[in-house]
Amino acid sequence: MTNFFNRRHFLAENAMGIGSIALTWLLQQERTGSKPKSIALEKPHNDLLPRKPHFEPRAKAMISLFQHGGPSHMDLTDPKPELTKYSGTDYKEEVTFSFVNEASKKLLGSPFRFSKHGECGMELSELLPHTSQVVDDLCLIRSMHTGANGHEVSIRYFHGGIPGILGRPTLGSWLTYALGSESQELPAYMVLTDPGGLPVDGVTNWSNGFMPAMFQGTVLRPKEPRILNLEAPPHMRGKIQEQNLAFLRKLNEEYLDRHPGEAELEARIASYELAAKMQTAAAEALDINKETAATHRLYGIDVPETREYGTRCLIARRLVERGVRFVQLFHNGQPWDNHSGIVSGLRSICGKTDKPAAALVQDLKQRGMLDSTIVHWGGEIGRLPVTQEHGSPEKAGRDHNGQGFSIWLAGGGFQGGTVYGKTDEFGHRAVENVVTPNDLQATLLHQFGLSHEELLFIHSGQEQQITNKRPARVVKEIVNV
Amino acid sequence: MPAGLGFSDDADRATLIRRLYFDLLGVPPTYEELERWKNSAEANWYEQLIDRLLESPAYGERWGRHWLDIAGYADSEGQTIQDAVRSWAWKYRDYVIRSLNANKPMNEFIVEQLAGDELAGPKVGEWTEQQIELLTATGYLTMAADGTGSGDNSPEARNKVIADTMKIVSSSLLGLSVGCAQCHDHRYDPISQRDYFAMRAVFEPALDWQQWRTPAGRQISLYTQADHAKAAEIEAEVKKIVEQRDAAQKVYMAEALDKELAKYEEPLRGELRVAYETVEKDRTDEQKSLLKKYPSVNITPGVLYQYLPKAAEELKKFAASIDELRAKKKPEEFLRAMTEVPDRIPDTFLFHRGEHQQPKQKVLPSDLSIAAAEGEVPLFAERDPNLPTSGRRLAYARWLTSGKHPLVARVLVNRIWLHHFGQAIVPTPSEFGKLGIAPTHPELLDWLADEFMRSGWDLKQLHRLVLTSTVWRQSSVADPSKVALDPDNIHYSRKSIQRLDAEILRDRMLASAGTLESTLFGPPVAIKADETGQVIVDGQQKRRSLYIQSRRTQPVAMLQSFDAPVMDVNCERRPVSTVATQSLILMNGEFTLHQAGLLADRVIRESQSLEPRSIEGLPKLPEPQAPEWTYGYGVWDPSLGRLQEYRELPHWTGTEWQGSAQRPDPSIGWVILNANGGHPGGKYAAVRKWRAPSDGRLKITGKLQHGSEGGDGVRGTVVSDRSGKLGEWIAFHNGSPTSIDLVEVRAGEGIDFVVDCQASENADSFEWKVKIEYIGSTNERIRDSVADFHGPVTADSFSRLPTQLEYAWRLVFSRPPSQEEMVEILQYASSQLSELQRDPRGVLSGSSPSKQVLVNFCHTLMNSNEFVYVD
Repeated sequence: MTNFFNRRHFLAENAMGIGSIALTWLLQQERTGSKPKSIALEKPHNDLLPRKPHFEPRAKAMISLFQHGGPSHMDLTDPKPELTKYSGTDYKEEVTFSFVNEASKKLLGSPFRFSKHGECGMELSELLPHTSQVVDDLCLIRSMHTGANGHEVSIRYFHGGIPGILGRPTLGSWLTYALGSESQELPAYMVLTDPGGLPVDGVTNWSNGFMPAMFQGTVLRPKEPRILNLEAPPHMRGKIQEQNLAFLRKLNEEYLDRHPGEAELEARIASYELAAKMQTAAAEALDINKETAATHRLYGIDVPETREYGTRCLIARRLVERGVRFVQLFHNGQPWDNHSGIVSGLRSICGKTDKPAAALVQDLKQRGMLDSTIVHWGGEIGRLPVTQEHGSPEKAGRDHNGQGFSIWLAGGGFQGGTVYGKTDEFGHRAVENVVTPNDLQATLLHQFGLSHEELLFIHSGQEQQITNKRPARVVKEIVNV
Repeated sequence: MPAGLGFSDDADRATLIRRLYFDLLGVPPTYEELERWKNSAEANWYEQLIDRLLESPAYGERWGRHWLDIAGYADSEGQTIQDAVRSWAWKYRDYVIRSLNANKPMNEFIVEQLAGDELAGPKVGEWTEQQIELLTATGYLTMAADGTGSGDNSPEARNKVIADTMKIVSSSLLGLSVGCAQCHDHRYDPISQRDYFAMRAVFEPALDWQQWRTPAGRQISLYTQADHAKAAEIEAEVKKIVEQRDAAQKVYMAEALDKELAKYEEPLRGELRVAYETVEKDRTDEQKSLLKKYPSVNITPGVLYQYLPKAAEELKKFAASIDELRAKKKPEEFLRAMTEVPDRIPDTFLFHRGEHQQPKQKVLPSDLSIAAAEGEVPLFAERDPNLPTSGRRLAYARWLTSGKHPLVARVLVNRIWLHHFGQAIVPTPSEFGKLGIAPTHPELLDWLADEFMRSGWDLKQLHRLVLTSTVWRQSSVADPSKVALDPDNIHYSRKSIQRLDAEILRDRMLASAGTLESTLFGPPVAIKADETGQVIVDGQQKRRSLYIQSRRTQPVAMLQSFDAPVMDVNCERRPVSTVATQSLILMNGEFTLHQAGLLADRVIRESQSLEPRSIEGLPKLPEPQAPEWTYGYGVWDPSLGRLQEYRELPHWTGTEWQGSAQRPDPSIGWVILNANGGHPGGKYAAVRKWRAPSDGRLKITGKLQHGSEGGDGVRGTVVSDRSGKLGEWIAFHNGSPTSIDLVEVRAGEGIDFVVDCQASENADSFEWKVKIEYIGSTNERIRDSVADFHGPVTADSFSRLPTQLEYAWRLVFSRPPSQEEMVEILQYASSQLSELQRDPRGVLSGSSPSKQVLVNFCHTLMNSNEFVYVD
């Protein structure tokens, strides 16, 4: 060490003539050894390196099939004989309506037939013939509750942990923040949007909130380039890009020759090689032509009605297979928001989604991936047992209901063939084993080996949790111990 | 310096010129500027150039950004989820730019920012220009994240604003982190908790956590008395409209109720009306249950739109006219300032463990005890009797800039050095304390600080001092032996290369493309999330990056990836990271692609007047090829087996080729060709011609379809202009497959897809989609008559390309390419042209191979290290 490094020198002979003043602290050469930090209070990190969870995980990845709009549980997943019996009579209980002008107290029994399926005998509606085939792998929760009927309030509750609050990190952000990325070449958190457009609440469905932008969901776009920045526009691919990169490399090497030994310049050359690798990996992951005809048929890719959703479900599986941590599928707008014409509306959206969703569970299982991959199917609310009046029965619909509704989970340690929780005899309110979105978040994190109370992010000096410290419990009854 | 190391030679002139531009202005020299300075015969050209650049308004933008980093500048409040927009922070940003451009002495600059309000004095009549400037300066003390007006006005949140403000002051001016002392004394930390609260006492009269003012509450309106009077007149008008609106709403509510009740019969109807019209608290149980049973009767103004959509529209019109009226008001502007409430001076207490619930002894305002010898620590008066405010900040600011403070000048010059070299003398510029790293050159630091103060805190003079030094002027070309001895260049035996700051990289792209505007100041440029959620600049991209709105929760993706700060508190020193995502953003991001396109446009425009570049010694470019497909008409003579009189159709409608704007054309008749098919004429057949680019073999598949039941169908014939007819089919209200198996073709041979009428010309619209599987020597690709269909193509010429490529290089790198580089450029262009002619899908629609090569070239240059680094 030269005397340039001598602090005494620096202070004692300074040109301002301060002389030896009370700056003795500057002479301290000791550096306090940094003490080990608790995971909880770790400074927010800014990378996607794989990290160990708090305890042994059951799940490594998750695919969420989000069903915007509020699937009508009493027509799909939650049979209500009493509702059928009293159909057309006045409902006695208090109801909160969103569409007051079409509000009615007349009960509306489901026109759809329910029957038992699988070894477990789970009852599902005729609208879900394919889901019915995989019930022994499903854990159906019939007692979801957000307490609010509005779409946005409940959507934000499911994604961000607080009803109605926009701009918080979403579940995928928390998972990738906690666990990092398994893949060096693909984003850890991917969102597959509908070619028809964005869901209600738009891009905030995959917001990173107060976390760094790398924890935002990366969108697989329905048009080229499918992944912004990760893929070149179509006209600049292939040979043209190879030539561009080769020319760039030549330019960069000549510049390096002029500045030999500059590690930064070498690193930047290498970063283009890694970028090119990532590009190839993305293209490979999206190429479903590599799948067999049987797989295409399984997901309904050979049929127009299921082609689009089936393709996205299959891509979701391919992404998880390649180390993507969290994949979420969205619909355009809110196809499950059946305020009117519920009979035809449900037939249409079920026709589009039932087969691909069931195929995903079946396909993951046959590949031995279901044990470590959670599949989630569900919306933000359900629907009311009373009719939404439009003058004629075929036009009838149902208004919003956040008091009780269903979702299902499969894989990743959730107990297959299980029905958990209950709504009242008309399907209006969750009355037994109520599960809130915060409970669901806590349970999902638990399956990933994470404690929702210990997974903290420090924002503006405050400890943040996904549940914002609201009451939340891990629903241990529905997971394998 | 250790043995084996010594200063390197001066960098060459061109390098020095470029380096000075980026260092002082953050924009490249134009090629003309570069040439002028390079060829200057003046002995003191270098000093002249520095002076010239220091006079440029862009100087304040470049160096203002450095100060904004450490001041924690942001256009949003942060702290809470809402991250509310800070509407007026930009006035402080502009103050900083203005001050630096005016070369305001740095001691004044500091005093104004810490205590501008105390200097300005109270408002007498209207605010004066001078007062406004001084109040704007105090924006510095309002930069900390502050969510107290946007969701969290708790005592904790307020105290955090105070702590963060102190952090900004201490890290920017004192080079110290004082935060640790907030809670307790540290064994090794010379800043005691008492010290911390003594410093806090300086700021507490302005930031009084018990009598808190939110950011909105501290804003100063620039409305004059006259403005207020005018606004009040408009508000009186607004009130009238509101009354009209309320009246209209009442009528609509009644109408909606009548309509709804009409659905019910008497006596129910009457009962429902009475129940509805009874005030809620006076309703009988019977009435209440009646309303519950018929929920649709419960009409409120909030759901009126569901009953009478028209009413909602009508009511909206009132709102629109209110907006219109209010728009006539002069927009009320504000200053984001730090002020004190006159005559209200709170006591400051030491908080046990930093907790506001546990106040202990009262603490008087003073500087940190480490800042002076024992007994000399300046204690500031609790209040200055000559000021309406406490005077504490003014006293503090004057002490800091008195020339006696041991840290302020050193901290400032260290930062200036850091920005000139990319490395600092004290490598931790905000931590001169024990947690920091010792200075590499302490005497130098002392000398610079001393010179700086002697010059009257003249920043531009300090720049001159540094920029004219041997150490700054050195070449960055490294001698490998020196690099091995000192890889981090701690001994300054060369000038380190510097990666452009994120903003400067973006500005350089705009400057290269020629679209960068030199407008200064003003409200921030808006940002938005694209359809994937990625944050981008909204609308046209023409302004320098420092004007882009900087929201804490919505950093612009491209800037953030190149290490632009996302303000939590402030940015003490930017990291320089190199990661693959940066390369992906530059390679594939829409912004770079767009800028490359704009640059290519500029090159084509501006290079027209240039003398053609000599192509002596350069690789030859390929010849432009005519398009493979052409669209024409002719006469098919089956007896000869040849197509006669072939000519191209002269008129393009935008989707179809035909004889003229007139249909049918008087001489060519009904001949039409479009992507899928077309229509033959009575005299002429419709002919789609494909010309083989090289020798090879081909296989044709397709289907000729005639849809109409009318007429008598069409005949399709495939003819080679070398070997005659290859196949013939008739289609009449049906479809006929048109397959031809493996045929040999020669380069330039034409294959004609001829459709002519039978006896009648009526109802002869046809569809003929053809695929040619072409197995040639160089050019294998399936030709698709539908996908390849095109309108007029201007004959491409490659002759200007060498001139254009050279000019683009000059614009991007501010230097001409060497002859060797020109050879490589032409090799690249040649291979690109061949590829683009082989597979035209690489050419964007509306472009041409030569233009596309130019765009790709510009794009590649913008990705290069020479573009991203300054040497």
